[in-house]
Amino acid sequence: MPIGPPTSAVHLQPVPSSSAPAKYDRAPSSVTIHPVALFSILDHYLRRTDTQERVIGTLLGTRTEGDDVVDVRGAFAVLHSETSEQVAVDMEYHRAMYELNQRVSPKEVIVGWYSTGSNLNTYSALIQNFYSQETAPYPAIHIALNTGTAEGEQAGVKAYISSPVGVYPKAENAVFVPIPVDLRFNDAERSGLRLLSTPSHPATDLALLEATLQAVVDMLDRVLAYVQAVVAGTRPGDAAIGRYLMDAFGAGTEELEKGGFASSLQDTLMMSYLANLVRAQAEVSARLALVTAA
Amino acid sequence: MATSMAAALAASLPAPQAAPTPSAPIHDAIPASMSKLIDIEAEIPITSVQLDGLVVSKIIKHSSESHAPNVHGLLLGLDLDGTLEVSNSFPLPHNVGDEDDKSTKNAGRYQASMLRSLKEVRADDSVIGFYQSTTMGAFFSHTLVDTQAIHQDKLRHGGVVIVHDISQTTRGNASFRAFRLSKEFLDAYRKSSFNARSHRLTFASILEEVPLKIRTNALLSAFINTLTEPHISTIPEPHPSDAFSSALPPSYSTLDLGNAALTSNLEHVIESMDQYKTEEGNLAYHLRQIAREKARADSYLTKRKEENASRVAQGLAPLPEEDISRMFKIPAEPSRLESMLILGQVDAYAKTLEGTSGTSLVKMYAAKASSGI
Repeated sequence: MPIGPPTSAVHLQPVPSSSAPAKYDRAPSSVTIHPVALFSILDHYLRRTDTQERVIGTLLGTRTEGDDVVDVRGAFAVLHSETSEQVAVDMEYHRAMYELNQRVSPKEVIVGWYSTGSNLNTYSALIQNFYSQETAPYPAIHIALNTGTAEGEQAGVKAYISSPVGVYPKAENAVFVPIPVDLRFNDAERSGLRLLSTPSHPATDLALLEATLQAVVDMLDRVLAYVQAVVAGTRPGDAAIGRYLMDAFGAGTEELEKGGFASSLQDTLMMSYLANLVRAQAEVSARLALVTAA
Repeated sequence: MATSMAAALAASLPAPQAAPTPSAPIHDAIPASMSKLIDIEAEIPITSVQLDGLVVSKIIKHSSESHAPNVHGLLLGLDLDGTLEVSNSFPLPHNVGDEDDKSTKNAGRYQASMLRSLKEVRADDSVIGFYQSTTMGAFFSHTLVDTQAIHQDKLRHGGVVIVHDISQTTRGNASFRAFRLSKEFLDAYRKSSFNARSHRLTFASILEEVPLKIRTNALLSAFINTLTEPHISTIPEPHPSDAFSSALPPSYSTLDLGNAALTSNLEHVIESMDQYKTEEGNLAYHLRQIAREKARADSYLTKRKEENASRVAQGLAPLPEEDISRMFKIPAEPSRLESMLILGQVDAYAKTLEGTSGTSLVKMYAAKASSGI
């Protein structure tokens, strides 16, 4: 699931050279990011001062041992100032915030930093250098989130790792190597995203089910229209779509037919009855508690 | 004093609302367009709660990552013209078992430094309530009632509690509800009188719900829309399942036929029924104790009266009527709060069970119709 404009970038894997000793493990090959981290970055961007071109902050997340994927699970804002002469990051604030976060979710460690906008400059390299010390022995990742507010730029997220460049390693010299980045969410986060992306979200389970069923019916209608058009010869058939449809509709309902349906239906009806009974009893009990002997 | 406070309030309003007064100097009066919206003395009652998208995702993250059944966090934001705008939140560390003095002190220090840190990056830093996660819709607990009672005394507008049902969210319907303690309950709570005579409360009247709506700011919704937009694959002749890809594909998890949640839901109902039974037993024991003591006191009184009558008949001075409350300790009437809360739990679990079984009935009939049995 790419979360940015499609690129033609080839993702290079830096191979640790044999001459350099294994200073750190393999560099992360891809990054997954949770929605909450993205939203925190966007919120921080909204709350920037007028003079700030971009905002930066720390990314928190987990690393999976073995397969080198970095999972970004959160982010917090860090104060920084950039002028034409110098860049300053409030390290004390960064440390304090990290310690506060550690108390709630001790598993999350610093994995890198984010900035908004997509220009990487000398300051980016300097900040990257600072965060590399924070994340040592692992390399730091950098997430550049383009908010898409500037003219002619598309919103999206890019992830980078850095590698030193030049004859003599210097802090301000670095190559940012892009690595793939994915949006990752669990079931709960998915329904949260859905709540945010649909303005009129149905409140009850039943209403939601109705909306979903309606969507399925609409899709079936679309497929039916396509199939009828192909059968009538007005549209050329696509073999791949045909096979795909066959897979989708050939799904067996044998489980249902084996008599499991009736008993399962009975169970569910029983549950429904029970639940109603319990609620009625609870209500009666609550009222009875108010009755006094007098 | 009042005007400078109002101006300070106006200056500290979040950006979208403060747009008509860009960086107003402190000594300026409130502009006419804003004067109706700003209430210094918190006179405009809160009629609705507005939850920011960031807070939604933060709460979901916190509650789905934690292993504890209930997690808590603080809500930050501002109130404006009757709407409580929740613009940020942060999780509170989970207390491990012991509620000793040290851990509460630590928690207080954590809150204070978190608020200070948020203020530094220009985030809202006024506490307006707290959130609690729950499973299967049951959220009545002593902690909730106690915390909210403190908040309603101390916070401006009394604050709200936002309850997030993680099990419903996992099933595909993100659920957030905002509550306040009802006035009657708060009165009874302050007097801590929960015996049968002094109040007319049931579990349904402990909390009153405040309408809640979700808001995504323009930037966030633009970003989400970019994510949901499907990308057409650039590979020639892709597999149909790969032809379109989107970072946020639509989900049909609500159509899952499995009802594994029903079993655990039923277990929860039974468990809380057992709790209620135990509590009822306790209450009955207390009532019997009271009745016994009362009977003893009464019999002592009648005996003394008879004795006095006979003494008067014999021409002797009657014995003094002693203070019976000193001789017999009649225990205080037990509090009904606990049983009321448990009953609330039972009702909430049963309500969730009702809802889940209802939707799964619909789903089963839908599946049946399609398979043509």
